[in-house]
Amino acid sequence: MITGVGVRAEVRWVRADLRARRGQALLTVIAVAGIVTALITAATLLEDGTNPWRGLFERGRGAHVWIHTKGAPNVPALRALGGVTDVAGPYRSAPATLADHGRKVPIALQETTAALPSVARPLLREGRWLDVRHPDGVVVEQSFAKALGLHPGSPFPVTGLNGATHTLTVAGLAESGDQGFYPEWTPGLAWTLSSTLTMVEPAPGRTESVTGLRLADAGYTDIVVQQAVITLRNQVQRVSTWREVRASMELDNRLLGLLLALFGLAGLVAAALALANATGGRVLTQLRDIATLKSLGFTREQVTRMLVAEHGTLGLLGIALGLVAGRVITAYALSDTVVVPLSSGPLVAITAGTALVVLVAVWLPAWRGGATPPIPAAPAAPPHGRLSRLARVALLVRLPPALVLGARDAFTRPTSAILTLTGVAIPMMMITIGLGCWATLDGFIRHPEQVGQAAALSVRPGDLTASEALGRAMADPDVVTAYPGVELDALVPWQTRTVRTRALGLSSDPYPFPVAEGRMFRDRGEAVAGQGLLDLLGLRIGDRVRMTIGGTPLIVKIVGRVIEPEQDGEVLSFGVDSLAAKDATPPQFYSLVLRPGADAGEVRARLQAQALEVDQAVNPADRLSVIRVIIVALVVVLALIGLANLLTASALGLRDHLLDLAVLKAMGLTPRQVMATLVTGTGLVAMAGVVLGGSAGAFLSKGLIDLEGRGSGVGAGIGRAPTPGMLAGALLVAIGATLLVALIPARRAARARVPVTAR
Amino acid sequence: MIRAIGLVKIYQTGGLPVPAVRGVDLVVEPGEFVAIMGPSGSGKSTFVHMLGGLETRTSGEIWLDGKRADTLSESGWAVLRRQKVGFVFQFFNLVTNMTVADNVELPALLGGASPKHARERREYLLAELGLEERASAAPGQLSGGEQQRVALARALANQPRLLLADEPTGNLDSRNTRDVLKLLGKVHRQGQTIVLVTHDARVASMADRVVSLLDGQIVDDAPIARIQRRPGGTAGDIVELRG
Ligand SMILES: Nc1ncnc2c1ncn2[C@@H]1O[C@H](COP(=O)(O)OP(=O)(O)O)[C@@H](O)[C@H]1O
Ligand SMILES: [Mg+2]
Repeated sequence: MITGVGVRAEVRWVRADLRARRGQALLTVIAVAGIVTALITAATLLEDGTNPWRGLFERGRGAHVWIHTKGAPNVPALRALGGVTDVAGPYRSAPATLADHGRKVPIALQETTAALPSVARPLLREGRWLDVRHPDGVVVEQSFAKALGLHPGSPFPVTGLNGATHTLTVAGLAESGDQGFYPEWTPGLAWTLSSTLTMVEPAPGRTESVTGLRLADAGYTDIVVQQAVITLRNQVQRVSTWREVRASMELDNRLLGLLLALFGLAGLVAAALALANATGGRVLTQLRDIATLKSLGFTREQVTRMLVAEHGTLGLLGIALGLVAGRVITAYALSDTVVVPLSSGPLVAITAGTALVVLVAVWLPAWRGGATPPIPAAPAAPPHGRLSRLARVALLVRLPPALVLGARDAFTRPTSAILTLTGVAIPMMMITIGLGCWATLDGFIRHPEQVGQAAALSVRPGDLTASEALGRAMADPDVVTAYPGVELDALVPWQTRTVRTRALGLSSDPYPFPVAEGRMFRDRGEAVAGQGLLDLLGLRIGDRVRMTIGGTPLIVKIVGRVIEPEQDGEVLSFGVDSLAAKDATPPQFYSLVLRPGADAGEVRARLQAQALEVDQAVNPADRLSVIRVIIVALVVVLALIGLANLLTASALGLRDHLLDLAVLKAMGLTPRQVMATLVTGTGLVAMAGVVLGGSAGAFLSKGLIDLEGRGSGVGAGIGRAPTPGMLAGALLVAIGATLLVALIPARRAARARVPVTAR
Repeated sequence: MIRAIGLVKIYQTGGLPVPAVRGVDLVVEPGEFVAIMGPSGSGKSTFVHMLGGLETRTSGEIWLDGKRADTLSESGWAVLRRQKVGFVFQFFNLVTNMTVADNVELPALLGGASPKHARERREYLLAELGLEERASAAPGQLSGGEQQRVALARALANQPRLLLADEPTGNLDSRNTRDVLKLLGKVHRQGQTIVLVTHDARVASMADRVVSLLDGQIVDDAPIARIQRRPGGTAGDIVELRG
């Protein structure tokens, strides 16, 4: 057998090679580890950002199933159900209303203990937990508190069903994985002590019992619910599960998912590039050694195997290290933000993806190494005659010889020039695309009207009449315009689900939707749609769509496509006057366009003081802010990879130049000139790579981000190229770093004494 | 031992055929020491490279130990080399990353020997060459002569049936040349079959037979009369005498 025999020789060689270049090997491991760490961290942050439920639920040891019963249930029977590991409660719960600026907001008071429970534990975020010495204190669920502008210390006037009002105080704010976010999840929740609850709702018949069941596995949920309902017979009033809670917390995360995929891809390309370059460079510098090995009787397969084993091991080691580092970073450095480690799906995808990329990136140069002819000849040196003739011409016409020689060098070695060029251009391109993403986010914030958020606030009349609400809103000096609006779900034929329709403004005075294609609606019966809706219904601009809204059929013609960041773009918008009068009046809300420069938060506070229910628009950039962290991390990793590639390239160039150097020095070039020659040789090509990559990135980023926008349903038209300032800065920094890196080996070479023979 | 029949090598450079070896017939008997001479570019290197399977032939046959070798695959040749053929080139014989000891142990390990056996063999060979102290040195730290002696030790590590050497002394001064030749003479006397390329007549005179190549063809094949040598003299003596 050919294989098997001689493995010891392979191991011996690999060990010797690794020992001879510890630093370089370490760099490879670190580069791959850095990429994997960045990917893991990014994925964890994104997952956590788009799905906070997982973290809250884990941290608070939430209950998977909540059972609402009339009286206290049979707890031992529930605990005995298969799959139930813990029981929370039973807690008494009572409905009540909260007086908020003159309107009444329904809330649920839930009894809890002064000591935080071990299961279904609320996570205190601000203020203090309940205390028996302060029985009038309540802890309010955080999203509800935010919506009502409550803080620790705020008064909390609660009215029970018997009409008695009790002025309680907000002691603290807490989050919970057992209660969805307000307003998706109503009523708002406040935790109180048992005695407080009894005070607000003294009648035992008006409270209900809630009991949480924590399961060994979320998969048991349905069975446990069935069994619990059977066990408790007709005691059960209502059951809710973790699925509903999670659904109320999830963001429309298609855009996030797509962005993550884009960055993941960039990371993988970077990993492939780093490894292919490191391995390729290494193999190229040791072709002669490989030839010697083959003349000794190493087969092609053995050489390939040896190289794959050596470099692949480094790459896999980097992956392992990156996995550990990613875990450690998310567990310790980001412990405040991230509670749950990355779920296994993305983890496996990242691991398998990088492993595959590593093996492919390593296999190509290894195969090339295996195909080396077995004759350890001198390297194919450039024709020396041409060099000296050119040099003489250069000297004759008094051109700086270094420039001429360096430039010539770039053209006479196309392979290494291409290696350098791509090694620099690809990271530069991806950095520029990252900057484009940054500029896009900045654009969202600076020009919210371009993503459909011309109105920073919307007011709901609440207890007021619509015209009263409009009057109070328009009285504010910072409010410029108010558009009446109604949001309704529509049934579309052939669709099993409803789509969101939004009537906002009048056909004659439409809300300033950001129209990306076609035109704005001008007449009754005309509408504009987001990309997501067009995709969902297979429509194009100019098509008519028939639907039923609140039982009334409506036919609209789609005249334009708008940028639609909400509901994954699955929204149809038209004038209020297109709706039947019964649906359109009174308007559900008014969208308020503020004076440029006005502080939406302040206006909101002022309007709330006027007893208006005010919502502030959430800028998509705020939801995507985690992307910025990822962009910075990726830019750093990519820059390091580009520089590492460049180092490999200059080291290679140097090896090829060893013979030339003797000639150059013999010709009378000073060490400084020799250095300049070498720097020009790699520097010119690398600079070309920087410029090429930068322009390609600037050119591509808008299109690429638009592609993401289209895929996510928001629609094309959001993408930005990096600003000229950003681009110029990036190019300058990159060129400076490039020249600096090219300088290091050149300096060393120019100073070194050059052997006359090749060794 | 080794037999070449009508061996032809034509390189294609830029579409133009360059005949390097044009029908060479040669038989080397076991234990024979054949020197191949000829001006630069006459095809000497190409010829010995083909004998060791480093280069594929265009046509012709190569027989080694009574078995046909020219039809072997690349891997087949590699295995044959590790068992039966040792190579010494003019330059770049040693793996730069490995120590002298590792370089010499490599062929034995490649042949499947145990690390212990490989080490013993290496210790013996380096001792023979007076290079024990350099065992842990890197090749770059050795002089040219030392490098070539280590290369020779490595080529002989697996006790190959055939030693092929392509101008092994071409890059050495006379003192180092003498050391290398001394060693060659010694292994030859122990029965080693050697085919050696040189354009140094003094080196060639050590051989049993000198084959002259010109433009890829054998123009002369003459045994060196034993009487030319001083009875009992060694190769080293001859070089000393003439150098
Ligand atoms: N790899 C090659 N490609 C093309 N031509 C070659 C190659 N190697 C050698 N030659 C040509 O073959 C001829 C013989 O070369 P070589 O065997 O190296 O001669 P010698 O070793 O006698 O100096 C020369 O003309 C040389 O240019
Ligand atoms: Mg030659």
